[in-house]
Amino acid sequence: MRVSTPHMGNLYIPLKTLFERLDMDYVIPPKNSQRTLSLGTKYSPEGLCIPFKLTLGNMIEAAELGADTMIMAGGYGICRLGNYAQIQEQVLHDLGYKAEVVQLGVSENKFAGLMNVVKHLSGDAPWVKIISGFRFGIKKMNVLDIIEREVQRVRSREKVKGSANRVYEQAVNAIDEAGDYRILNAATKKYLLELNNIPQDKQCQPLVVGIMGEFFVVLEPFSNLDIEKELGKLGVEVRRNTYISEWTNFNLLFGALKRFRHDKNKEIHRAAMPYLKCDIGGDGWESVGEKVLYSGKYDGLIHLAPFTCMPEIVAQNIMSSTKEQIPVLTIFCDEQMGKPGMITRLEAFVDLLKRRRQKEQSDLISLKS
Amino acid sequence: MVRIGIPRALAFYQYYPVWRTFFEKLGAVVVSSAPTTKQMLADGSKRVIADTCLPGKVFMGHVLSLVGNCDYVFIPVIRSVKPKVYNCAKFLGLADMTRAVIPECPPILEIDFDINKRKEKIYEDIYRMAAKLSVDRARVKEAVTASIKVNNEYRRLMADRGLTPVQAIDVMFGKSVEGKDIRVHSNPVASIALIGHNYLLYDEHVNHRILQRLQGAGCRVSTPEMVPEEILQSVVNKLLGRSYWTSEEDVVGAGGYYLDGRIDGVIGVTAFGCGPDSLMIDTVRRHASNLGNAPFMNLTLEEHTAEAGIITRLEAFIDMIKRRKRRTSCA
Repeated sequence: MRVSTPHMGNLYIPLKTLFERLDMDYVIPPKNSQRTLSLGTKYSPEGLCIPFKLTLGNMIEAAELGADTMIMAGGYGICRLGNYAQIQEQVLHDLGYKAEVVQLGVSENKFAGLMNVVKHLSGDAPWVKIISGFRFGIKKMNVLDIIEREVQRVRSREKVKGSANRVYEQAVNAIDEAGDYRILNAATKKYLLELNNIPQDKQCQPLVVGIMGEFFVVLEPFSNLDIEKELGKLGVEVRRNTYISEWTNFNLLFGALKRFRHDKNKEIHRAAMPYLKCDIGGDGWESVGEKVLYSGKYDGLIHLAPFTCMPEIVAQNIMSSTKEQIPVLTIFCDEQMGKPGMITRLEAFVDLLKRRRQKEQSDLISLKS
Repeated sequence: MVRIGIPRALAFYQYYPVWRTFFEKLGAVVVSSAPTTKQMLADGSKRVIADTCLPGKVFMGHVLSLVGNCDYVFIPVIRSVKPKVYNCAKFLGLADMTRAVIPECPPILEIDFDINKRKEKIYEDIYRMAAKLSVDRARVKEAVTASIKVNNEYRRLMADRGLTPVQAIDVMFGKSVEGKDIRVHSNPVASIALIGHNYLLYDEHVNHRILQRLQGAGCRVSTPEMVPEEILQSVVNKLLGRSYWTSEEDVVGAGGYYLDGRIDGVIGVTAFGCGPDSLMIDTVRRHASNLGNAPFMNLTLEEHTAEAGIITRLEAFIDMIKRRKRRTSCA
């Protein structure tokens, strides 16, 4: 059995760690490329979103490399995503691949369920091995996110644009290759220090833009055309709430432990309450909540959503009517999106935010005098 | 008397008799919006972002037409009517979305209906909604019992007598005495099944009178409502294992049922921008091509759809079926 999983950001690194520790044959699909997207688009039913197309493309490319078991998020009561594994399996069969798509119930919040799937796929590996594999994988995931947050901060302040991205790439590789906790901790320390040593403009107070919306397009840089790097080039500091470690924690792993953690999501939901009272699937509720919560805290928000995403369309309809005001740029991502068009929109948005900030400052000065 | 507005869109075709009976038993007057017009759709489209699905735009148009004509608008959030089978995001956010895009909307009577909750909890939600109309619990309970009875009668009218929801509503509320069974046709040239959401199949403006056009061309038309729900559900279970969407039976169930060779052709009617449709119609299409029994065509409706385009496609479809029939009878 050759197992594979579709890409979502750096998620393949912790998964690779887990599967390698369990001596499973894990195929990492080729990195998301134009070919991945074209394949996915070609074989998708009409009107589906970019997460479906990209994950399908990954599965086809993994199947070409001989993978026969794909793990895909699924379940009920979320958005269309819950239905995807089933449809994707049908598409793979139509193409002649004898692949099985195993659903991981995102909605059920069952840590045990995930463990059982892994135990089954690993050919009944001992629990001790599975749990230690999980722990190490999660550790890597958390470390990756810590580094990413630091990169987001440095990108906007660095004197030579692109320095942080270079260090980040090296850091990701080093974390990927780390074989035990000692090497991993050393690598983390080393790259955090390196990031810190990048020459930065200490005086500058960059614009702060929050990125929110549907988790897949937020977390998978290929689908949003590397929006964070582009914003970094424009000297904007990016903040976000959705990180891979958090998404998986809340959705897949520690559902049972959730109530013992400080739950950021609850705060977001509470903020959304006056405008949207219930979960509408996907991240629609969170999008409305984040807009309310971050107005006044950030300079602006970028709302990312896949084209035709149902929950985000509801959210966008509601977001424009909230009492709390903050500039929001909604970008619908799909295979038709081109980089120059997006950069133009980002530049215009950043210019608008800059003018707003200047105006606020001059208003403040005139108030004082 | 308090007037309650019910928009003639989305779940209207499925539950109008239930809602009307319920509110009338509570002593309210029910005002339903008129059938969709071009103006309504245009007004509705203006309020929402362009990516919103066609039925969502139609719904907003109907709510707008009710502004000023009623004291409350009833917009239920129908989360789930079958265990662990959920509705799409637009249904779940419907009340909040209406409030956001139509600020002048009269107060909204809303209820989050979720069959997965305990029975007492569901009743509690109904009581809470009815409290706005200041009626006591005993009367609400009576109204619920009466509505359930009406619901069964409504389903029976459609399944046994072959009435469309619109005809059945007319018969039930005394507008016409006798509905005509749309399945009865003297010497039909072809029998065709229409599958899709009932708010697409029976909204004559949105679908450009597709049902009447088919009948006019001499076709016998069947729709999902004419098959008992249990049978549709069993077809879904056979094809997919279990339903994922609330409307799965109307599309996948009816599609699978009619493609079984009992009919000359199946037409899927879907809405542009509908998330569930894109997945469900794909399942039907795949099933149709695997079976090879009957031709299948998918018509996607949107607000710009020109009538001529729809007519051409229907004509071509019927011609193709006629040719097929001639060929099989020759051979």
